Amino acid sequence: MAPASQPAVFTTQSPYPLPPQTFMIPTAWSRYQLSQLVNKALSLSKPVPFDFLLRGDLLKTSLADWCTQNSVGEEETLEIEYIESVLPPQKMSDLPHDDWVSSVSCQLEQRFLTASYDGQLRAFDYSQKQTWSSVIHGAPVTSFCIVPSTSTNSHLIATASHDLTAQLTEINFESMQETKPLASLHLHTAPLSIVSSNSSGSQVLTASWDSLIGLWDTLVPESDEVPEPAPGDRKKRRKIEGHKPKRKAPLMVLKSHTARVSGAVFNDEKTAYSCGFDSTVRAWDLEHGVCSQTITSSERPFLALSLAPSSAPSTLLASSTDRTISQYDFRDPHPLASVTLAHPATPSCIVRSPSHAHQILSGAYDGVARIWDLRSVKGATPVASFKAWDGEKNFLVLTGKTEASYASGAKAGWGSGKSETTYHNFCATSCQFFFQPEIL
Amino acid sequence: MHLLSLPHFPPPVESLEMLSDEEGPEETASDDGHVDEFPEIDAGSDSEEEDLLEDEGEDEDSEEEDFEGEDSDDSMDRDIFPKPKTVISDITGQPKRVYPEIEPEYDSDSSTEDAPNCVGNVPMHWYDDLPHVGYDMDGKRVMRPARGDELDKFLETVEDPSAWTSAFDKNAQMDKPLSAEELDIIRRLYANENPDAGYDPYEPMTEWFTGKGKEEIMPLSAAPEPKRRWVPSKWEKQKVMKIVRAIRQGRIIPSKPKTTSKLEFYSIWAEPSTSHAPPLPAPKPRLPTNSESYNPPEEYLPTEAERTEWEAQDPEDRERDYLPQKYSSLRLVPAYDRFIKERFNRQLDLYLAPRIQRVKLNIDPSTLIPKLPSPQSLKPFPNYKSLKFTHSGSARCLSISPDGAWVISGDEDGVVCLWEVNVGREVKRWKFAGKIGALEWCPRLDVSYFVVGIEEALHFVIPPNLPSSVLVLTQSLLAPASLPPAPETPSPVKWVTPSSNSRSSDAAILTVHLPPSSGLPKQITWHRRGDYMATVCAFASVFWSPISYVLDYAASGGTQGGVWMHQITRRHSQAPFKKIRGAVQLVLFHPLKPHFFVATQQYVRIYNLSEQKLLKTLTPGIKWISSMDVHPSGDHLIVGGYDRKLCWFDLELSDKPYKILRYHTRAIRSLAFHPTYPLFASSSDDGAIQVFHSRVYNDLMTDPLIVPLKILRGHTVKQGLGVLQVRWCARQPWLVSGGADGAVGVWFS
Repeated sequence: MAPASQPAVFTTQSPYPLPPQTFMIPTAWSRYQLSQLVNKALSLSKPVPFDFLLRGDLLKTSLADWCTQNSVGEEETLEIEYIESVLPPQKMSDLPHDDWVSSVSCQLEQRFLTASYDGQLRAFDYSQKQTWSSVIHGAPVTSFCIVPSTSTNSHLIATASHDLTAQLTEINFESMQETKPLASLHLHTAPLSIVSSNSSGSQVLTASWDSLIGLWDTLVPESDEVPEPAPGDRKKRRKIEGHKPKRKAPLMVLKSHTARVSGAVFNDEKTAYSCGFDSTVRAWDLEHGVCSQTITSSERPFLALSLAPSSAPSTLLASSTDRTISQYDFRDPHPLASVTLAHPATPSCIVRSPSHAHQILSGAYDGVARIWDLRSVKGATPVASFKAWDGEKNFLVLTGKTEASYASGAKAGWGSGKSETTYHNFCATSCQFFFQPEIL
Repeated sequence: MHLLSLPHFPPPVESLEMLSDEEGPEETASDDGHVDEFPEIDAGSDSEEEDLLEDEGEDEDSEEEDFEGEDSDDSMDRDIFPKPKTVISDITGQPKRVYPEIEPEYDSDSSTEDAPNCVGNVPMHWYDDLPHVGYDMDGKRVMRPARGDELDKFLETVEDPSAWTSAFDKNAQMDKPLSAEELDIIRRLYANENPDAGYDPYEPMTEWFTGKGKEEIMPLSAAPEPKRRWVPSKWEKQKVMKIVRAIRQGRIIPSKPKTTSKLEFYSIWAEPSTSHAPPLPAPKPRLPTNSESYNPPEEYLPTEAERTEWEAQDPEDRERDYLPQKYSSLRLVPAYDRFIKERFNRQLDLYLAPRIQRVKLNIDPSTLIPKLPSPQSLKPFPNYKSLKFTHSGSARCLSISPDGAWVISGDEDGVVCLWEVNVGREVKRWKFAGKIGALEWCPRLDVSYFVVGIEEALHFVIPPNLPSSVLVLTQSLLAPASLPPAPETPSPVKWVTPSSNSRSSDAAILTVHLPPSSGLPKQITWHRRGDYMATVCAFASVFWSPISYVLDYAASGGTQGGVWMHQITRRHSQAPFKKIRGAVQLVLFHPLKPHFFVATQQYVRIYNLSEQKLLKTLTPGIKWISSMDVHPSGDHLIVGGYDRKLCWFDLELSDKPYKILRYHTRAIRSLAFHPTYPLFASSSDDGAIQVFHSRVYNDLMTDPLIVPLKILRGHTVKQGLGVLQVRWCARQPWLVSGGADGAVGVWFS
């Protein structure tokens, strides 16, 4: 019996197009043979691995198995989309910390910035040496962001902390003494969960456990806008004497959530999105300070959110405690979760790929980070996953998040921070960096 | 009997038998013959022989009818009136005597006779082959009348109107109409009357001894008349006087209207007849068969092999309890030796046999299973372990802040950790001397502190990173500038606040010293307003040695059961019970009413604190109560025991459990109702946590719905101890559990 074959048309959005032509493909073939076929047809000098999508499903088995599983007849013409394969990133180095790392950034040139639960902000250079550190808060820092500014040697950092305030700090990596707390943002009555700034650096959003979202500008006021509490109680956060920050009041308070707000992010200058433990994802009109749209799902407290990658504008990804990441499109008047990515553990953070139009990275409490391609959503399997930390005894939590794009040539990199506890104490913590292998 | 007239000579004995063989109509025919057989002597007799025989026949007939009278009449007739004439016979030529023909007179007995056949009461089938059917009075043959065929008979019945009242006359061998008297007899027989028309069943009675002039005057006895006939009776007088006295004293009301004088009518068919089946008859004993006969057929007799086999068997194994035996006659059968025994067994059977009719229930077993909703439709509930927080010792107690964001967990090394629920990061830790017995967060939202119970002391601790307003209010509550006035009665419980300059966030802001040797507080429970707090102390030696328990018990004056109630604002502690029966295991405040649940080893008592009285005693039927929680509505209580039982009480319903769940394989350690979601969880020493859906309805008619949802496994059993405490997050369907393995797990939905 002759080997069965299936007619197929190949399409792609990658820079390696095939001529539109129907191929008869033996059904015993799987990804490897198909990738070889494409490489041979294009006669590429250097082999490029490809992955293949059939009706939004990543091909993991042979074609025959896929056809029987999806009950596709032998004479139907398959439309196979191929994408460049994503290989799991390779671990480059560890950056040890004294305490849990809560936030990571590699927006700045030649530096990584990390925030930790001991209230410190640290900077590392590419040779993994700690070059700078400063105590910003007396309580754990839960999140920070770099407010974009025009000045080159000093940077404005917004930090959110458990001590109920956020803080605007000007830092200068050249001199340790130049760390100036400019303003402390006083609104919330519960620990803050996140702080984020818009792209122009004019405004900052803070989200807190007390169900409020504060909108602030980044101008430092001349005098205290919020009165000092009654004298006599010792504030632990005022450890940095001399540079007493100005007490700043919010521009606007966004009230609509009924429980802890776990994530808030700017979409553009006028709109922002937030998600919370009340199982809602909300869109905000920042000009008027009102909630313009609310997506309510049933009993899914959201832990984190991220804007979708560039291929899907005004859509949002939110992770919830029922171990899924859902994609919501706000252009739809009655949005439902269009894509659901299931995890084996609680997904605690999501980040979109800065370079790839379809990829997101999610980190979960099982210590595994997963790269998802939003086109391959049917089987809900990640295109690549990597385990960041080994050891069954250790309690792993992935709380850091960042997006990074190095200017060093064509390399695209992912950075992720994490914290780790050993059996008794919290000394062994580290920050790890992964680099995606070169594709070209 | 016309013996001589018979043409053939059948023996006279035979005629009796033949008659008995005759049928009914023959019988009536002979009756007819009896009536009809009066001799009629024909002048023209055919033969001399017949004439000669005439006398004899006549004699016989008269003998039957009326012997004396007719005989005398006949003799007179013959002797006096008829003179024989001597004539010369035409046939023989010899002279013969010819008598004149008999004229039956009016008074002649044979006047009504018109039957010519005088053959007598003989079977008529003797004449079947002959042309005649008999002989008349004169000895002449009576010829057989012509008989038509069936068609003629039918035509006769059509033509003759009296055909249906005629009957076949056997003597005459023809149909004769029945006379009116005979028809009347038939009618009477048919109507079940006396056939005799002259019989009068209602004839008047003849009075022989009663009535005027027939009285008997003379007495039967000559004894003088007794005295009692005319002397008034003394006993009668006493009886009457008794009644009179009773009337005077009012014991008898003479003209009392009779209450029951009027008959009450009722419809006897008004009530429906009973639907009970009549009582069953006793089962019948088995009937004897051939083999039990005294003389059974040979094939029933056992062979020698069968007999030995039967004897070798045990009596209860035998197929039948006797061996067939053969006796040549009934008189040789001996007395039955097993009579008493068999009768006794029969009585036993009747006694034990159920004598009531049971209606067989025909129920599909699948309908008996309650229709529970599927767990998928009852989401959310915790179904996976998201986080694990690890203690070095076993995590005996934990508590969750009222806003549901923080967990405090205490272990046996005296370490209390404060950490976030959904990150698991430890924010602060406190170290106390001695193992932590209980932890509880104050339920108030405007202040924030928690209470840690260690050996003989309660420490009040403020968590870090509070808003300044909350912090100030908490500090002023726990360490006020001016202490409230001391209560009148000195309490053995001391409230100690360190001075404000030695205060630090690592130490307790307030310490309550319980009386010495009161042991480890094993439970701290708050009233929902957050002002009152109750603690239960375990006498440390209760569980270990009875002797030291008694000593400790006496030393601590512990009749109040180790229960203390603390009021935070007044800084005052009191023992609510002067004396309590049994060792108190747990106490609880009712969420809405001023009620107080106290669980002793086997009972749960509910007290009203404002009225200070016992309301109810619940009997869960558990040997040793380990845990208890009350539903947020306050109407339901769950109680768990070390004997693996979980009892759900509907407090409105009964003091017996509404439902008993026995799903754990080891002792239950902790129970918790979710404050807002319809969920409760139970943890056990088998290392598993079971989550139940418990929907309580507002109307009292609908029973609570309890659906088992999920078994959460993940804790390891260490030294026989599993999951020691479970608690719910306040606003999310999340569960936090502390295990003996030192792990505190957070279970997300």
